Order: sequence, then C-alpha cells, then structure tokens
Amino acid sequence: MAETQSPPERRVTPVDPSRRTEIDKQRVPMSARPYRLLALVKQDAVVRVQKEPDDTVMTWPHLLAIEFLSAAVLSVFLLLMGLFVNAPLEDLANGNVTPEVAKAPWYFLGLQEMLAYFHPVVAGVMVPTFLLVGAALIPYVDRGDVLAHKPSERKTAVVLFSLFAILGLLVTFIGIFFRGAGYAITLPWVTGLHFSL
Amino acid sequence: MSFLERVDQGIRRSVVFRSLFRQPYPNDERSRAYAVMNNVFLHIHPVRVRQHAVKFAYTFCLGGLSFFLFLVLTVTGVYLMFFYVPSATQAYTDILQIQSSVAFGLLTRNIHRWAAHLMVFFVFLHMMRVFYHGAYKPPREFNWVVGVVLLFLTIMLSFTGYLLPWDQIAYWAITIGTNMAGYAPLFNTPSKFILLGGLEVGQNTLLRFYVLHIVVFPLVAAIFMAVHFWRIRKDGGISGPL
Ligand code: HEM
Repeated sequence: MAETQSPPERRVTPVDPSRRTEIDKQRVPMSARPYRLLALVKQDAVVRVQKEPDDTVMTWPHLLAIEFLSAAVLSVFLLLMGLFVNAPLEDLANGNVTPEVAKAPWYFLGLQEMLAYFHPVVAGVMVPTFLLVGAALIPYVDRGDVLAHKPSERKTAVVLFSLFAILGLLVTFIGIFFRGAGYAITLPWVTGLHFSL
Repeated sequence: MSFLERVDQGIRRSVVFRSLFRQPYPNDERSRAYAVMNNVFLHIHPVRVRQHAVKFAYTFCLGGLSFFLFLVLTVTGVYLMFFYVPSATQAYTDILQIQSSVAFGLLTRNIHRWAAHLMVFFVFLHMMRVFYHGAYKPPREFNWVVGVVLLFLTIMLSFTGYLLPWDQIAYWAITIGTNMAGYAPLFNTPSKFILLGGLEVGQNTLLRFYVLHIVVFPLVAAIFMAVHFWRIRKDGGISGPL
C-alpha cells in the first residue's frame, strides 16, 4: 500500500495542551501566516444607501512612480550642482579679522534686516518668537468654515498669510542683495554682491 | 529565450530571491496591494490613495522631497563625519583635506551643502503649499503644529552645520546669528552664553554645534517626521481635492 505523500504543510505548532490557559482556549486558530489578504473590498454598507464614486488609485504604481521620478530628478540636480558648483570656503576663522560685512545665513537675513530698524530684543527675540508661535497657532486662530479649502473661500486668511510671506521675502531680499560693506545699503550692480550661501 | 531572460528567470526562481520577495513582480491589483503592505519601507503608504493626491501639481512632492533631502543629508553627512574633527585647530584643515584628498570628498561636501540649503527652501515651500490648500484645518491642526516644529528643527540643523567648516563665513555668520538670539534670557543667563559656551564663538561653540548637528537635531527631527507621517495617515490621508 503506497502511502500518499501530501505536500508539507506550514503549520503553527499548537500550544502544549497541559499549558493552555483560558485565553489560549478562546483564541481563534491562525494559519501559518498571521494574516492574509483575501481580496480588496470596497467599503460598502450591507444595505447600499448611496454609492460614492470610487476616486482612489493603486499606490503601486501610481503614487510610487511619481515619488521615484521626482526623487530621481532631484538626485540628478544635486549631482550636477555637486559636480559643477563648489560649496564656499573662505580663510580660516579669525575673530580678530572682521570681514567687510558679516551676514547670517539667508533664512536669518530677514531677521538681521529687522535688526537694522529695531532694538535687538524686538528683532532677535520677539519677532522670531511671534512668527513661530503665531505659525503654530494658525489652525486654532482660523475659525473659518472647516470645509472652505479654496483660497477664494477664505480671502482674509490668504491675504494675511501672503502679506507676511511677501514681507519676509522683501526683507530677506534686501538683506541678500542690497546690503554691502558695514551692512550699509548698496546697489549690487555698483558694489557687487556681498553674499555667500 | 535570450540569455538575459534566462538569467532573469533564474534569479527570480532562485530560493534566495523568493525568500527575499515573497510575491512575484506585482502585476495585478492583488499583488500590488501585497507589495505595498508587505514592504517595510512602502507600508508607510496606504494600499490605495485618492486620485487627486497623486497629481504632482497638488503636493509638488514637496514634503516627500524634503524627506528625501533629509536622507541624502544623512548619508553624505555620515561620510563627512569620518574625516572631520570638531576642533578649532583641526576642523578647517580637515575640510581642506576632504576637498583635496578624500575620495569623492569635494563632491560629498558640495552635495551636503546644496542639499541643506535646498531642504530649508523646500520645507518653506511645503508650508506655503499646505497653507494655500487650507490643509491645516481640522482634523489636521496638530500635524501643522508638528510641521512648525519640523521647520524650526530644519533651520537649526542648517544653522548648526554652518559653523562646522570653521572658516570666516562660518565664524561671522554664527557670530551674527547668535548675537541676535543672545538677548533672550534663559535660566537667568543670557542665552548667548548657553549657545556659545563662552563669550564669543570658540572651541566650546564648535563642539556644541557639532553635537547638536550630528546627534540631537537629526534624532529629534526623525522622531517628529515619524509622527508627521503617521498623522497624515490617521488624519485621513492627503487633504483635498480643492
Ligand atoms: C522636515 C520637514 C517636513 C517634512 C519632511 C514633511 C513631510 C510631509 C509629507 C511627505 C507630507 C505629505 C504630503 C506632501 O508631500 O505635501 C506632508 C504633509 C503635511 N505637512 Fe509636512 N513636512 C515637513 C514640514 C512641514 C511644515 C513646516 C508644515 C507646516 C507648518 C507641515 C505641515 C503639513 C501638513 C498640515 C500636511 C498635510 C497636508 C495635506 O493633507 O494636504 N509640514 N508633510
């Protein structure tokens, strides 16, 4: 009598019966794999009330392709920048040799520009604190319609935010291009650019 | 079957390959769902996403690219760390060495520098995009707050790294930058003293900025990014459509 050879089955060895606890007895037996995806089911109610149009697409390939492509383009850009534009490096740091003009990194130049108009406590402490805390509070301050997402439906918020953005851009721009030796106002096409990244 | 196809088949059928990728190349909905679910890196995504969220012109991939830049900066930064000592007497010569005699040293330093500036810029742009979409509105209020913290951390990462080459640009930019913040009283000491570890930028400052730059801020930023991404899912995916 030939023994029928069934293919080896992946099984989870059951808990030793002598050591089964109450919880083990209630456990639903699991297959070798702890979970299985049987099918993709659209979330429908048992009684179909109103069918919403399905506006979703598969992450693979639709989202992943775009993520991959944009990362690839950025990589090529970084590689080209790295190959053809050298990061700045000047002389060894020396606290006794003051440069023509000392500028903060570009994202702080707006604040440095404010320093030219206001007391350091205002420009260096109050303005940045106000900006950060204020930005964090936006969702709690904007009490407008929760469903209004289009800029045209929330003009006040958009105008206020844009005003701050333009103001920030403006002071940064002045700091980068129109400040020369001694942080005095200059024209970049006359005295050259005093700025490094 | 061409030679290449036979090699391809051979690889795909091998025990090693099938132990690595349990499913064959995903070609239908079911296997594509598996591919996303079963991969530790991809499962940050849901299996399906809403159509408008996939359009490039909705997010411009700005958040994703900010994260990608963070990864690039981590890899290039670790490589630079092998050749850099945060010492006021050695740091500058180390940078010169990296540029002249370390393999791909100049390229790595350049990419690290440009990626850092670009990340700050992209995070700003990402914030603008989120604002103009009204994507900070409920239920995403708190993720916006997490985002503001990320913006702060990104700027601080860039700022602390700015000092490390220990050249004139670095020295005077950090002098100006810390002068501005120096007026905020912290623990009854001028915060400038805490930042600099002295009265002016020196060895203590370099070591402080170095530790903050390579350990503290990256770690904290990674944690906040994890929360940020987790919450995007929990808040119902990308906002919109407009
Ligand atoms: C290191 C910095 C940051 C990273 C890596 C990051 C990453 C991301 C990613 C990948 C997304 C998915 C959608 C997209 O790409 O636009 C996203 C969405 C979001 N981010 Fe950020 N982000 C950062 C900073 C910020 C900042 C500064 C803010 C705001 C102050 C912010 C607020 C948000 C909000 C509210 C969403 C949900 C948007 C929506 O549902 O449309 N994030 N972030």
